[in-house]
Amino acid sequence: MHTTEARLDRIRGFAPPRPHNARTIAALTSNPGCARRAIMDAAGVDKARVAAHAGFRAPFGQSQFAITRGNAFEAQVKADGCAELLRLLREQLHLPIPEVSYDDLEYFGGERRSHEARHARTRALLGRAAASGDDAGTMFDHPMLTLEVGGRRVYLEPDLIAFRLRDRFHVVEIKSFAVIDGQADGGKVAAAVIQSAVYVLALRQLMEATAAAPPDIVADEVILVCPENFSNRPVAALLDVRKELTVLQRQLARLERIEDLLDTLPADLTFDLEADEAGVPRRPPGELAEAIRVVPARYAPECLSSCEMCFFCRDEAQGETGALGRDVRDDLGCVEYVPTALALARGEAEPSPEQAEAAAVLRLACRLRSESLPGGEGPPPAAGRWPGEEALGEAV
Amino acid sequence: MADSLEDLERRIDELRVAVRQASMAGDRAAARDLRKKLRDAEGEWDAALERLAPAGRAGAQGAGRDGQPRESSQAGEAGGEDGAVAQEGAATRERAAAGDARLLPIREQVHQALTLLGVPSGQRLVLTVHEAFLGAAPPAARLTSLRRDEERSFRSAPYARPYYLCAALTYDLLAPARGILAVSTWPMDRRVIGPLSPRVNYLTAAIRVAEATLRVPAPTPAALRLLWRFAANIPGAAGTGRAAKPELVVKAAGAELDVHREADEAHRSAAADRARAQLDDAEQLFGSRLRVFPRSATG
Repeated sequence: MHTTEARLDRIRGFAPPRPHNARTIAALTSNPGCARRAIMDAAGVDKARVAAHAGFRAPFGQSQFAITRGNAFEAQVKADGCAELLRLLREQLHLPIPEVSYDDLEYFGGERRSHEARHARTRALLGRAAASGDDAGTMFDHPMLTLEVGGRRVYLEPDLIAFRLRDRFHVVEIKSFAVIDGQADGGKVAAAVIQSAVYVLALRQLMEATAAAPPDIVADEVILVCPENFSNRPVAALLDVRKELTVLQRQLARLERIEDLLDTLPADLTFDLEADEAGVPRRPPGELAEAIRVVPARYAPECLSSCEMCFFCRDEAQGETGALGRDVRDDLGCVEYVPTALALARGEAEPSPEQAEAAAVLRLACRLRSESLPGGEGPPPAAGRWPGEEALGEAV
Repeated sequence: MADSLEDLERRIDELRVAVRQASMAGDRAAARDLRKKLRDAEGEWDAALERLAPAGRAGAQGAGRDGQPRESSQAGEAGGEDGAVAQEGAATRERAAAGDARLLPIREQVHQALTLLGVPSGQRLVLTVHEAFLGAAPPAARLTSLRRDEERSFRSAPYARPYYLCAALTYDLLAPARGILAVSTWPMDRRVIGPLSPRVNYLTAAIRVAEATLRVPAPTPAALRLLWRFAANIPGAAGTGRAAKPELVVKAAGAELDVHREADEAHRSAAADRARAQLDDAEQLFGSRLRVFPRSATG
């Protein structure tokens, strides 16, 4: 009755679960202290809808146009037995000519299959390819991998896995952002690298589980395929994901087990929107916000680009120094609130022993600021919603 | 009949209205008759148009075999060069084929494209080939239910039609491969897909497309684009120069085919034997499906 699954179902309410995927795992591990996100992702809550109904609609989401274009590019690269991908693998990575075999792990036996069935078939085929010699396969399309996240099993779907590039497995990720004159958007590439690291980790765990081959048969170089310049012609690049792999493993180990998190929450907690037959949410927004606030969050400015709850959490974190970013949080340590920080800077408050170091830094900064400003005065006294609202923008 | 274009256009409009009215009234026989008259009128209109615009038509031939634009004056000389006369004949045939293609059922259009390709192919390639060599292709949406409809037609009256558009079977589970169409009159060996078959079929299709561009006197821009795309993805087929050379594509594709041919044929003949042994007629054409047995409740 009180299993983890049941409690997560209760929290999610009546909506169907949104799947965890490499993107959400990557975002989760970059902010491991956020219990709110951990619970919501584990339960498969539609964060965009919840945030919108609570009054803080998310500022982003993938447009339908972008999704369609991404699917079209992927279909083009994989068409006709992966003809274009083969060209890239041969030209840029010297895949030998005889290696052309293709296996579809998503659609077999005449239908699209469930996650469990696909995972079983993936294990079988990849295990056989790893253990045997030739004739075992080159390209495995839409495999289904799993990963333990917070004590629960999550299904992951990389675009494709290529084998027999010098006898190793390489994850292939197909993305539709362009590489122009050899350069691509740094943020997008970084996100792609982290997601690929998640897949490499999952694939290595699969190798361990099937005991077919040592885990390092899975290369830590990932093949990223993108459109070139302004055309639809694909181009491939090898990305080294070793650093991201170590970071990922460390952070996954630190992710608190979901059960432990759930133990701290009331049993009747739910984020259900109570939608009627037409799908219109009927739950009072205030009540929903109350429920969300029961689970603590850890807002950082990075959340603005990776989590749909960002505006809600930012509003909640107003006045906290942590909301200003990781660097500020690290520098100011025990000084949790902005008014406290400003008071310490002006020398109006006495720091506690833990705050002594931070207070010294603040006082120094304040002195530097008043010396360099024309008119040479310190931050103005309290005005506005919380003290030093204007000063805040220029302090530290 | 020397009807003017305007008269023909007026007749075509009247016939179209009549066809619509007959169909809505449910009068099938009258609708069929009127449709035939409409087809005839449209054919006459095409012929009349060609008679009226010979020079413009030759200029509109577009690129010749090597991608060089043809001089319109060349073809304009009456009976000057044999090539030019053959051009006009071929153009008429092509236009007539294009006109007829509009009126052919979808299944026949797909059948013609697949016959040109000679191997099981994906939907997109079928439509592209049709566009390139056989006139305007049907919209892709019309193809999605094609295999299902053909299966139903076969099961209700087996072998009633001269051919059926069927599936290609995967070598391991003998199930229909996703999105792939084949023709039922092909031997079983050709209608199975081994692990190397997607690539082998691609190379074979490249050869057939290259040969088709050599056969047709004036390949359409779509055909040349298709040939170019094949050439870009086959090692040694691209060569230098702006356009793809069909002979080079044939040679390069053949060279790579030699590498895969034996292994692929071994997979496929083994799979074909199993299919003939284990599957009934309908399943041999349309594939068997994995049956999922529900796990019995264990309390």
